[in-house]
Amino acid sequence: MIRQGAPDSFVTIRNVTKKFGAYTALDDLTFSVREGGTLALLGPSGCGKTTMLRCLAGLETPERGFISIAGKTVFDSAAGVNLNPEDRGLGVVFQSYAVWPHMSVIDNVAFPLRVRGVSAPERRKRAMEILDIVGLAGFAERSATQLSGGQQQRVAVARALVHSPSLVLFDEALSNLDAALREQMRLELKGLQDKLGFTALYVTHDQGEALGLAETIVLMNVGRIDTSGSARDVFMSHQTSFAARFFGLNVLEGAPRRKAFIAFQREHAQLRTPGAPTDNGIVLPGIVRTRSFQGLVDEYAIDLDQGALIRALDGSTGFEPGVRVDVVVDEHNLFLLDR
Amino acid sequence: MRDTKRRLTLQVALPLVGVIIGVLLIVGPFIAGLARSLMLWVGEDPQFSLANFAWLFTDRRIHQAALNSLICGFGAMSLSLMLGTSLAWIVSRTDVPGRELFKTLNLIPFFFSPYVGAIGWIFLVAPYSGLMQTSIGSFTGESIEGPNIYSLAGVIWILSLFYTPYVYLFVISPLQRMDAAFEDAARVHGASFWTTIRLITLPLLQPGLLSAALIVFVTSAGLFDVPLALTATKGIRTMPTEVFALVRYPSDLGRAAAFGILVTVITIALTLWQRAHLSKRRYEIVSGKGYKPRVTEIRGAARVLALTVEIVFLTTSVVLPVLALILVALSPLWTGRSNPSNATLANFSYVLFDYSLTRQAILNSLFLAVTGATLGVTISGLQSYYLQRGRGRFKGLVDALLALPLGIPGIVLSLFFLIFAIRTPLYGTLAILLIAYVARFFPFATRTISAMLSAIHPELEESARANGASWTQTMRHILLPLLRPALIAAWIMLFIIFIRELGASILLYASGTETISIAMLLLSENSVGYVAALALIQLVLLLGGFTLFRLTKVSAIQ
Ligand SMILES: Nc1ncnc2c1ncn2[C@@H]1O[C@H](COP(=O)(O)OP(=O)(O)OP(=O)(O)O)[C@@H](O)[C@H]1O
Ligand SMILES: [Mg+2]
Repeated sequence: MIRQGAPDSFVTIRNVTKKFGAYTALDDLTFSVREGGTLALLGPSGCGKTTMLRCLAGLETPERGFISIAGKTVFDSAAGVNLNPEDRGLGVVFQSYAVWPHMSVIDNVAFPLRVRGVSAPERRKRAMEILDIVGLAGFAERSATQLSGGQQQRVAVARALVHSPSLVLFDEALSNLDAALREQMRLELKGLQDKLGFTALYVTHDQGEALGLAETIVLMNVGRIDTSGSARDVFMSHQTSFAARFFGLNVLEGAPRRKAFIAFQREHAQLRTPGAPTDNGIVLPGIVRTRSFQGLVDEYAIDLDQGALIRALDGSTGFEPGVRVDVVVDEHNLFLLDR
Repeated sequence: MRDTKRRLTLQVALPLVGVIIGVLLIVGPFIAGLARSLMLWVGEDPQFSLANFAWLFTDRRIHQAALNSLICGFGAMSLSLMLGTSLAWIVSRTDVPGRELFKTLNLIPFFFSPYVGAIGWIFLVAPYSGLMQTSIGSFTGESIEGPNIYSLAGVIWILSLFYTPYVYLFVISPLQRMDAAFEDAARVHGASFWTTIRLITLPLLQPGLLSAALIVFVTSAGLFDVPLALTATKGIRTMPTEVFALVRYPSDLGRAAAFGILVTVITIALTLWQRAHLSKRRYEIVSGKGYKPRVTEIRGAARVLALTVEIVFLTTSVVLPVLALILVALSPLWTGRSNPSNATLANFSYVLFDYSLTRQAILNSLFLAVTGATLGVTISGLQSYYLQRGRGRFKGLVDALLALPLGIPGIVLSLFFLIFAIRTPLYGTLAILLIAYVARFFPFATRTISAMLSAIHPELEESARANGASWTQTMRHILLPLLRPALIAAWIMLFIIFIRELGASILLYASGTETISIAMLLLSENSVGYVAALALIQLVLLLGGFTLFRLTKVSAIQ
């Protein structure tokens, strides 16, 4: 068996293109995940994350490209290979959980074993084990409709793991949960992965979720990969204006030294009375539009004279709406971007 | 002050009138039937007796008829469940070409009359003389017997064709709205396409399938006209044709009533069981997030198969029978062969203008349909207001009671009305037909109007009241305009049902009050040309209703 793709890559996606009619939902996507690794597909709503996940699961057929999982080619447009979803051996947690309302919790969880022909006592035993791990052992006989959102999600997770798949896909696994539950679930998922050793691919539009869960991030922008790399790199280095905007930075067009954009964090925008001297940095004059209290600091929205609207966090000074200010950003806090 | 009090009474009283009329229409005839079934005449004096019921349980003919009805019910139910679910799946879940058009076409048999369908099929495949046999025979030179349409199998075939749209209607909307992730989740976790259908899709459709199955079973087992057309002359009787026989040759209303009461009780028990069962498993199969209608791409053999199922269904239910009717209606004398050069409209002009029986029958049917639909929608509207807006303590009970006639066979209800009216001046008038029609079918209208009313927020009316409008003004200017699509849809539905109705008319008509379907029945022995012409005239009226229905459905969505 020849492994295609990078030497240690467990999931390989190469040149995948998917169209819906005239609309290109995925445009020539290439990335890989190492064995036991975690990757997050991150991007704003509608950028094609779910579509990518569905192509991986075999629920959608790309026009072009190559996908292999655990050394097995599951899709190859050139060779005409396209395995059915049931032959790819995955676990998937759906955005809507898709817990079947006509089955009990344990029947939901045991389903992957049932269709694999595992005997009834054996699959009951294994389903109980995994239910125990996700903390739902006491709910086995409940009807799936009698569960809360968080519990349904645990059922969906248990169902995706019960047959020990080598790759598990999570579509917005945490976005339907409240903040406290989300944090708890995030830790539990990490624990589960350490214990069971599967490779995980998370789809999310939430940067916090991606950073908390994944070691590698692929940031997507309308069907293309904008930035990819280690979570730390993608979050800290801001290589593109899209990434900078996505992570909440202020982005301005036209910048010194023939770069196309400059970007800076809200925290790094200091407000000064107009004309006050500054030593090292750029000065952007503007008018305060709004000021809102954010705990220790105030958040300002400022209309710059050059036309852009930026946001600034500043705790020291009180500027009222309508007042002229200078926004000052230190040189070393500026990101200069080509695209 | 006194003024508001008076209006308040009207607001309570008017809907109550609708409810009381509805309850009387159901309970009245049932009590008449029950009383008659418990009576036995000894000389001049009626006596209380259970003899009629005792006879039911011992008579072989009754057992046979009941068994035959069960066979028809189960046969038609199974076939139409399979066909209706397949058709719904094909048009809602595959990319078969022309599926938007098929979505509408599949409903046409719903509006056609099974009785006319049966007549069409007799012309098509009657042993030796059917169009199929004669056209194949003209190639091979042999005379061919062909399939035996005059059999229970024939009845099941016709019933299945015409009740498939019921199943179709019940499952297409859950199929379209079901969260595709339910099936996707099964596939990615190892289930094949067919395993997913078996373990996920069908169980999720179960509430709709069960409702459809019950309706098709009860309606098929209780339908009078198709067995009458196909098997009655061969001595094979089902429950409704046996009731007919009990009333006519020789007349024994007591035994007929006992049979009718038994059927009614069984039907009610089935309906209540289904209600209880469904209320236990009410779950939502539409989850908000991540929902996308999922379309299976079908290619090659699967595509050909899907198209074949669609086309065979439409051809056998609509195209072929209508074609046969047209050929027969255009022939001066039907011999099993059509000769285009002899084609004539004589049959049409005769039944429309010259023959007093058929001319009167068409007028009667139109009168009954228009008046009946108007009366039905009126009392149903009032009932719906009571059910959705009233404050009555017995709303649940009234709701269940008003739904009862849905399953009771038309001929049984008309038997009860016959017993009720036989010694009154009502007997032999159009009025008794009208009452029986409305009594049997108003629940359909109540369902439709009630459903729409429940979707209209009461605040719309309350704000009108708060702004000084009286109840009557609020009804006129706010609620009725909002309800209009449902009222029109219910009216058209009743109109269509009444135009083709036979089971509820057969025991109540008299000379001069025949309807189109009755006239077809009376002429079916010897004047097939007239029958075909009448059938086509009826179909044109039904098709008009269907077209209106599609148009108003569109406006209801807008
Ligand atoms: N079956 C389909 N037919 C047509 N267009 C589709 C289909 N599925 C997805 N799309 C389009 O493809 C694009 C990407 O959709 P996708 O569901 O992958 O987005 P997403 O990144 O998962 O968004 P979200 O964060 O909102 O879930 C969207 O513009 C969507 O409208
Ligand atoms: Mg998505």
